[in-house]
Amino acid sequence: MSALALQTPPRTGADAAYVRVNGVTKVFGTRKRSVTALADVNLRVRRGEFVCVLGASGCGKSTLLSLIAGLDAPTAGSVERPAGHPALMFQESALLPWLTVRRNVELPLRLRRAPSAERRRTADHLLEMVGLLDFADARPHELSGGMRQRAALARALAQDSELLLMDEPFAALDAITRDQLHADLSRIWEETEATVVFVTHNVREAVRLGDRVVLMTTRPGRVGRQWRIDIPRPRELDDPAVASLAHEITTELRRDLNGDRDR
Amino acid sequence: MISTATATGNSRALRALLPRVLGVAILLGLWQLLAVAGVSSPAGARLPGPGDALAEIVTLTRQGVLLPALLRTLSRAAIGYVLALAVGTAVGLAAARIPLLRAAVGSLLAGLQSLPSVVWAPIATIFFVAGGHDENAMYFVVIMGAFPSIAMGVLSAYDHIPPLTFRLARSLGARGPQLYRHFVISAALPGYVAGMRQAWAFSWRSLMAAELIIGSLAASGIGQLLDNGRSNLDLPEMFAAVLVILVVGVAVDDLLFTPLERGLLRRRGLLPAA
Repeated sequence: MSALALQTPPRTGADAAYVRVNGVTKVFGTRKRSVTALADVNLRVRRGEFVCVLGASGCGKSTLLSLIAGLDAPTAGSVERPAGHPALMFQESALLPWLTVRRNVELPLRLRRAPSAERRRTADHLLEMVGLLDFADARPHELSGGMRQRAALARALAQDSELLLMDEPFAALDAITRDQLHADLSRIWEETEATVVFVTHNVREAVRLGDRVVLMTTRPGRVGRQWRIDIPRPRELDDPAVASLAHEITTELRRDLNGDRDR
Repeated sequence: MISTATATGNSRALRALLPRVLGVAILLGLWQLLAVAGVSSPAGARLPGPGDALAEIVTLTRQGVLLPALLRTLSRAAIGYVLALAVGTAVGLAAARIPLLRAAVGSLLAGLQSLPSVVWAPIATIFFVAGGHDENAMYFVVIMGAFPSIAMGVLSAYDHIPPLTFRLARSLGARGPQLYRHFVISAALPGYVAGMRQAWAFSWRSLMAAELIIGSLAASGIGQLLDNGRSNLDLPEMFAAVLVILVVGVAVDDLLFTPLERGLLRRRGLLPAA
C-alpha cells in the first residue's frame, strides 16, 4: 500500500483529526519563577499521518509530546486523542536491563495479560520486522545503540496502539545507523498504517520521514510554519528534493532563532 | 581455541585467588611468630598458635561440642536475619513511598546503623531473658543490628531507579502491583542485595555480641563457646571459636552474597568483562 494513499482524500474540517491539540498552554514552575514552555499551541493530526514536529532545543516540542502521551497535563487548553495508551519512544531506548530483548518486547503484552504463546508469537514477529530476531535472547547491554532503538521500536509496536509518539529517537545515533533506521521506520510505518508524531531537531530527518513538517518557534513554544511534503517515498537523505526543502526550512528556523536573539 | 579460553579462565581465577591466599598466609605467619615468641597473658597463659587452634577445632568436633553449637548459632543467625530482612524491607518501602515518614526516619536509620548493636544486648537481657525468652533476646539484638542496613538499602535502591523507567512504566499504563512487579522490584534489586550483604555482616556481629552477653543462660552457641573458654582460661578453645566465627562470616559472604550480586550485575552488563 502506498503511504500517500493513507492521507487521501484530504478531508478538511475538524472531524478528520485523529489527534487534536486545542489552544494548549503549558507553564512550569510556580508563579514567581515560571517558564512558559508552550503558548496557545494548536495541532491537528490525521489518522495514518506521519507528522514531524521540528524545533530547536528548548522550544517545548518534547513537552508537547508528553502532553499528547498523557504523561503530563496542560495548564490551559485540551488534548484529544483516541483512548488507550499511545506507544512512546524516547531518545534513550529505556529497555529494561534485566530482561532479554524478547522479554522487553513482550512487556506491553505481559502488562495486558496476553497468553504466553501469543506474547512469544507477537514479539518474534515484531523482532523480525525490525531485524533483531537473531538477538532475541541477548541482553540490552549486548546490543549497539541502533539495535537498542530497534528493540525499543519493536516494544512500542507491541503496544498495538495506532498512535506512535517518538521523542528524538534517533538523535543519539551515528549518521549511518540513523539512515538505516529512517528507511526501516518508513517501511514499518507503511506496513502498520500507524499515526506518528515524531519530534526532532534534525531538519533533513523531518523532511525525509514526514508527510508534514510542523516548525515550532522558541520561547515560548508556538506552532509556526508548516510544510506538506509530497516527495514520493522511499526518500533518500541526499535526494535533491529533500535537500532543497530542508534548506528552505533551515532558513526559516534560523530566522526564528535570530529574531529571538534580537528581541 | 576452546582449551585456550578455558586455560586463561582458570589462570584468571587463580590470579584472583592468589592475593587472598597470600593474605591468609601472612596473617597465620604473624600469628605463629607471636606464638613462637612466647607471648602470654599476665596470668601466664600462653598464646596458642594457629596449629593449636586447629587441633582444638578437631578435638571439639570429636567431643561433639562444636557442631551442635555451630548449628544452633547458624539457626539463630538465619532466623534473626530473615526477621531483620522483613522489618527492614517494610520500613524501607514505607519510607520510600511516604515523604513524611522518610523525613522522620531517614536520619534515624543512619544513626541506628552507626549505633553498636551490642548496646541492645543488656536491654534484651532485661526484657526477654528475665521472662525466659532467651532466643527472642538473640533475635531482637540481630534485628536491631541488621534492619537499618536493609531499610537504607531499600531507600537508596528506590531512589536510584532511573526516572525514565517510571516514565516508561506510565506510558505502558503500568500502575499499582504491576508497576512494582515488572519495574520497581527488578530495578531496585542490585541496591537491595547490596543492603542485604551489609546487613549480613551486621547481623553476624550482633549475634556474637548477643551470645557473649546473654551468654550462659541460653543454650550454647559459638559465642558461648568463646565465653566458656574465657571462664576456664582455655585459650585454644577461645581461638578455635574466633576462627570458626571468622570463617563462617567470610564464607556466607563469599558463597552466598558475592555470587548473587555478581550474577545480578553481570546480567545487566554492569560488571566489566575483564
